[in-house]
Amino acid sequence: MDHDPFRWGRPRDDIYGKYDYSIANSEHYFQEHKDKYSEFPRMNTQEPIVTGTSVIGIKFEDGIIMAADNLGSYGSLSRFTDIERLIEFNDKTVVGISGDISDLQKIERLLEELKIESSYDDVNIEFQADNIHKYLRNVLYSRRNKMDPLWNSLIVGGIGSDNEPFLKYVDLLGVEYASPALSTGFGNYLAIPILRKFLEEKGIDETKTDSDNFRNIKEEEARKCVLECMKVLFYRDARSLNKFSIVTISKKNGIKLEKNLKIEDMSWEFAKDIKGYGNGQRY
Amino acid sequence: MFLTRSEYDRGVSTFSPEGRLFQVEYSLQAIKLGSTAIGIATSEGVILGVEKRVTSPLLESSSIEKIVEIDNHIGCAMSGLTADARSMIDHARVASLNHNLYYDEKIQVETLTQSVCDLALRFGEGVDGEERLMSRPFGVALLIAGYDDINGPQLYHADPSGTFYRYDAKAIGAGSEGAQAELNNEYHKSLTLKDAELLILKILKQVMEEKLDSNNAQLASVTKDEGFRIYSDEETGKIIQELKDQEDDDIAEAS
Amino acid sequence: MSSDYSNIKDSAPIEHRFNPYSDNGGTILGIAGEDFAVLAGDTRHTTGYSINSRYEPKVFDVGDNIIMSANGFSADGNSLITNFKTNLQWYHFNNNEEKLKISSAARLIQHLLYGKRFFPYYVHTIIAGLDENGKGAVYSFDPVGSYEREQCRAGGAAASLIMPFLDNQVNFKNQANQPLRYLSLNEVLSLVKDAFSSATERHIHVGDYLEILIVTKEGVRTELYPLKRD
Repeated sequence: MDHDPFRWGRPRDDIYGKYDYSIANSEHYFQEHKDKYSEFPRMNTQEPIVTGTSVIGIKFEDGIIMAADNLGSYGSLSRFTDIERLIEFNDKTVVGISGDISDLQKIERLLEELKIESSYDDVNIEFQADNIHKYLRNVLYSRRNKMDPLWNSLIVGGIGSDNEPFLKYVDLLGVEYASPALSTGFGNYLAIPILRKFLEEKGIDETKTDSDNFRNIKEEEARKCVLECMKVLFYRDARSLNKFSIVTISKKNGIKLEKNLKIEDMSWEFAKDIKGYGNGQRY
Repeated sequence: MFLTRSEYDRGVSTFSPEGRLFQVEYSLQAIKLGSTAIGIATSEGVILGVEKRVTSPLLESSSIEKIVEIDNHIGCAMSGLTADARSMIDHARVASLNHNLYYDEKIQVETLTQSVCDLALRFGEGVDGEERLMSRPFGVALLIAGYDDINGPQLYHADPSGTFYRYDAKAIGAGSEGAQAELNNEYHKSLTLKDAELLILKILKQVMEEKLDSNNAQLASVTKDEGFRIYSDEETGKIIQELKDQEDDDIAEAS
Repeated sequence: MSSDYSNIKDSAPIEHRFNPYSDNGGTILGIAGEDFAVLAGDTRHTTGYSINSRYEPKVFDVGDNIIMSANGFSADGNSLITNFKTNLQWYHFNNNEEKLKISSAARLIQHLLYGKRFFPYYVHTIIAGLDENGKGAVYSFDPVGSYEREQCRAGGAAASLIMPFLDNQVNFKNQANQPLRYLSLNEVLSLVKDAFSSATERHIHVGDYLEILIVTKEGVRTELYPLKRD
């Protein structure tokens, strides 16, 4: 390792020969000379870099609730703590994004572009949540077909074309599915069991999508359940933050995005009992 | 038409102020210079008949191909600049084969005709992504005869403007006016295949300049059971003889 | 002297590539009768050990009295089915709104699958309907388009559990002196239900609900039954 501060991280010239900078720049060279083959292979995203953790969502009486925290992790480092991962598309659609944050921003730009292109005077298409979901699924699927994926899992929520609550998942492979309760990432193991238990107690039939099926679930109860899930996630997901956003979309009241919420009523009493893990105590 | 000729007949995609595309209209004129071709659709099948212009005794008449097979169940007769028909026939054969490959069934006669007409329209400027294929419209018209399970025996007329119509009986080429008038008189729904063969030869005889024989006329049929089939010279000869006998009988009867 | 770098240089390169496929579990089953055909599938959608959804239908009425399912990697399955539907529309435009025959649908699907021979749709595809003579028909496909008309076929996660049962109960294999005969719709439906409840017992990727689509000359009809959710 060369410790010259200007050459930090580079293999030493006297051992490995002079570093060939065209390796590092091959991507740019390739993009500028599309007609030529680069000397080095083009490299697409192989892994996410800065990441956001779980997004969770659930249906209720006449709408949906979704939540995601504000953390952007760089590996195990809590790198950014003010990332908004619930993207408001319109008053009927919200997109919750987990996974790579730069790809999240790309998706944000795509959605903004779609919004602009569809809102010229003579076009004026009113997208419903299911339309946005299908659009994103096609974006993600075609990127996976190019072996250059957008490294994300998304949950699209809102009101669909049938004027019923809509909640559906899609990920970097183009895999999509709908369910009354959904989650990405770690939430699949921590939040989903809580949400499913809640739905079962309310006697929800997952084969029906009409709002009559959800009439037993009031917004407040659903919100409470989601808060509980966010708390459990913060307790047990090492890449989570106690600062998060919740979005509610209902037929009655439209969209409501609450930011900078804090997880409340936590108890870390148990922490003092944890033994080992390098805290100096040996048992 | 030629009196109003103007600069508007130069480009193939320029309308005249009256709204005419002269190059397309001229191409329709080219067909009227061609040899006569006749088709009749009966309930038993379709008969095609053409006049071959054997311009020299040294010309091998079998080398004049004016009726060709497109697929087992479709054939066509042509009139006009027959060389142009090569690319249409090629296209039609590919379309038919591809349909069979992609759908494991025979292409419908109308679908096939539509696909040929799509090609006929590609003399204009290439539209996004589509290549411009030709510098001028085709100078040939086709009588497309076929059989399919959905619509039975069918006869279509496709012209260089890309238009096609289905006919019970249709004549094209130099003698088409007289021939069509005769078809209008003689056609009826209960015509048999045999009747149609005789009727076509009878009309060809009337409109042709030369004396009708098996050397300068050709017949073909499309039926459910046999598909497309070009009649041999002997077979055509026999029908011509039959026609002659019939006419002789008529004369005898009249006198 | 060896350094950190020389160690890296000597070790074999670690392959870390994006994997464009996943397996979403589930199983499907098609049986042809004399004047009907059924195509059934469970509605559980999984990745790994997780149940993503308990009700995500994967058997579809694609039009022209044809039902279709593509089981395996669900993103590819959904794409194949939407592609088929657009192709069907084009067929209608080009052929005077003529109904697509089940044999033609099968050939078309072969081309859709083979067209991606070198980046295949990772699915086991089955279609069902009635042939030109009104007889029940089931066609099944491998991921790259090989296809065959059959009396019955199971596909997906529990195919290997269900198929031998079908051989025995539909084609009477290994049953001595048992002449071949068409099964009635009721017989077929109870076979399907037995097949799925058994597969649910033995396979973790099968369960939740059983959705059966039935084609007759009257059209397509759907029945839904619960399966075990564990």
